[in-house]
Amino acid sequence: MDVSRRRINIVMTGVGGQGLITAARILGEAAVEGGCKALVAETHGLSQRGGAVEVHVRLGDVYSSLVPRGEADVVLSFEMIEAVRGVPYLRQGGVLLTADTLMMPPTPGLRPLKRQQIEAALKGAGVRYVVIPAREAAEKVGSYLAENMVMLGALVGTGALDGFVEPERIRAKVQELPMADKNLAAFEEGIRLGSQARLRP
Amino acid sequence: MYRILGRAGSTALLMGNEAVARGFLEAGGGFAAGYPGTPSTEVIESLAEVAKEAGIYVEWSSNEKVAVEAAYGASLAGVRSIATMKHVGLNVAADALMSIAYTGVRGGMLVFVAGDPSMWSSQNEQDDRYYGLISYVPVLTPSDPQEAKDLTVLGLDLSEKFSHPFMMVSTTRVSHTRGPVVLGPLRPPRTAGKFERARGLTLVPAVAREQREKLISKWEDIRKTFAGLGQFNRVEGDGDVAIVTDGVAYGFVKESLSELGPEADKVKVVKIATPLPFPRSFVIDAISNVKRVLVVEELEPVVEGQLKQALEEERLTPEVHGKDLVGLAGELTLDRVRRAVRSFLGLPVEEPRLYKVDLQIPPRPPAFCPGCPHRATFYALRRAVNRLRLKAIYSGDIGCYSLGLYEPFREQDIIIEMGGSVGAANGLAHAAQDQVPIAIIGDSTFFHAGIPGLINAMYNRAPMLLLVLDNRTTAMTGEQPDPGSGVTAMGDEAPVISIEGIARGIGIEKVVTFDPFDINGATNAMAEALEYVVKERRPAVAVARRACALDALRRARKAKVQVPLYQVEDDKCTACGICYNAFSCPAIFVKDDRKAWIDPSLCTGCGVCAEICPYKAIVKVVQEGKGWEEAWM
Repeated sequence: MDVSRRRINIVMTGVGGQGLITAARILGEAAVEGGCKALVAETHGLSQRGGAVEVHVRLGDVYSSLVPRGEADVVLSFEMIEAVRGVPYLRQGGVLLTADTLMMPPTPGLRPLKRQQIEAALKGAGVRYVVIPAREAAEKVGSYLAENMVMLGALVGTGALDGFVEPERIRAKVQELPMADKNLAAFEEGIRLGSQARLRP
Repeated sequence: MYRILGRAGSTALLMGNEAVARGFLEAGGGFAAGYPGTPSTEVIESLAEVAKEAGIYVEWSSNEKVAVEAAYGASLAGVRSIATMKHVGLNVAADALMSIAYTGVRGGMLVFVAGDPSMWSSQNEQDDRYYGLISYVPVLTPSDPQEAKDLTVLGLDLSEKFSHPFMMVSTTRVSHTRGPVVLGPLRPPRTAGKFERARGLTLVPAVAREQREKLISKWEDIRKTFAGLGQFNRVEGDGDVAIVTDGVAYGFVKESLSELGPEADKVKVVKIATPLPFPRSFVIDAISNVKRVLVVEELEPVVEGQLKQALEEERLTPEVHGKDLVGLAGELTLDRVRRAVRSFLGLPVEEPRLYKVDLQIPPRPPAFCPGCPHRATFYALRRAVNRLRLKAIYSGDIGCYSLGLYEPFREQDIIIEMGGSVGAANGLAHAAQDQVPIAIIGDSTFFHAGIPGLINAMYNRAPMLLLVLDNRTTAMTGEQPDPGSGVTAMGDEAPVISIEGIARGIGIEKVVTFDPFDINGATNAMAEALEYVVKERRPAVAVARRACALDALRRARKAKVQVPLYQVEDDKCTACGICYNAFSCPAIFVKDDRKAWIDPSLCTGCGVCAEICPYKAIVKVVQEGKGWEEAWM
């Protein structure tokens, strides 16, 4: 994958309550413990109440915490509408990795969007994207609360983090979570799914 | 192992606010007080978590003014203290801040304030550094989590040295950024000392005049110290142009320059972490030989203004840019600073190439959580108002219930500041013709600043309803306990302050309490109170009492209590839309045939949708376990 090896910019998008912040913290801690600089910026507050959430993770030679639009190497999305909202962050040739979860906002009177519609629009825009069946994977390991670990695993599986963070360090952090077994199983399943979409440099 | 108690010498990934908490422990701090507010909350949260282990005292105060006063009191007893708040909280605490600058302090005291430029979760953006100018309280501005820790230690040390309160002004991208922090050694906390009388502590006019003179001379002494703070106020590189940065701006400037290659070598970076008192001699020395200067700082031209004044007085005439290139509104971003730096250096500014997805996606504003008692209260309030055919004015306030602004409720007509719902309703009650003001406030906000407004309503006979949404916690900022929660920040049991008791104590005759999950009971209770207001032309109070759903679920799961589950019976559902349109629970989705479907992973088992469904199509499919009702108290 065509990343500048000095740094990697990741923008995570999703819905409040999906566990983005935990996933980002684990990634950042694993990086720092391995000697790689990490900055993780969160948008909190109102977003916790089911609103759109964005977390920026920058690894390597970085001094400021926000990823500018058009400069994310990877947009890691936990929900498909939020994936579309995250697209403007992608750099040319960057990759959108999204869960297949689709959650319509609870605003009355909305016309429901469909996955196929979203995928067609992404294709039309020329975005390189990979859809991960995150809920199915999480349910397979016994907890739909572990979707975030599936997505973190998928990110690892694609190889996007190679040279910045060793998977072993992330695995160790996942093991510190409550319900470690389920989270770890979800993480491994994510790696498997992500490696099928392995990004080649 | 708690993140902020890591081993000295190790590197931890800490959020800026956690780094401040760590710095407080490294400085031997013993007393911490604050009021929750994004993005400042985690300082007290992290300290409260380790309070017992670290042997320090930590509290959530009833508001920011009380937090500053309490920290001041501890300081007078010789204990190092910190008071924390968000920017608007500093407005509440400002009265105390102005005066304690006059009396000075004993143990080191730091006022920590985190601003929210771009207003991610605030009603305004304001540059808190200006408070340093008004109050003569020195201001420290960290650029990243590491500096947030280091400057906390320095601030407390210098505060004690100068017997003067210090202030740290942080911002979202320092407070809520996690970055690597090298930990220093922890000092044993000093948690008790002795108060000693001194003339300067009693600010009657004769004393205040003396203290004012001392304040001005102290300010100049601190300015000299700041000018020599090599680690935090420093020059990097050399060249005939300079970029002066304050606080968070440094990282953005540094990154913008790192992208330039050899061009960057011609730029001298003057980094400041103490905008007030302005380290004038340091800055003048640093830029005396440059032809052009760019000042990059967030929000207002605090450094830029002082710099221009200093240059004028020194008769130096470099070309100075700042807000003309950076702009005033919103937080700094790399994109924004990069543009300013590049145009300052005469380099082309490229527009990023973005992918454009041709699809309208709906906005996703925050909403009441599934099971939130506020949703039920707003639903019932609308019914009560309609039943009485009232023209209601919904005077709103700061908290989760601000979300009542959105569809389908639209029951927040005014939102200004903490407690503002009650004060504004007072004026509306006397001035708005044929309309009934309903002030809507949460428990924590009521304790914070709502009580004086209620006293005013009683005293001046304002015909209005005060509706207190008591969910037993400060929910919006992440469920911090408040005076109605029965527990302290450190987890000790506490008396529950009665909202009804306060109302009755000041003479309110009509005080009703209801359970929002009982929609009919809630409607009747609010209608009764509103009828009283209209008929008697006096204030009434209604209290909606039900725990925050997030808290209730946490308690239930911890105690391994089975959470009930509701589902829609497809053959009974008529697709009327009441549950997803009028009640609008995020766990209820619309299927293609317009019938409702409940996502089992989101349902919290509150059961209100089953109550309001006119066709009895929503049924409980998993029974609650023993202890379920208790979890919601």
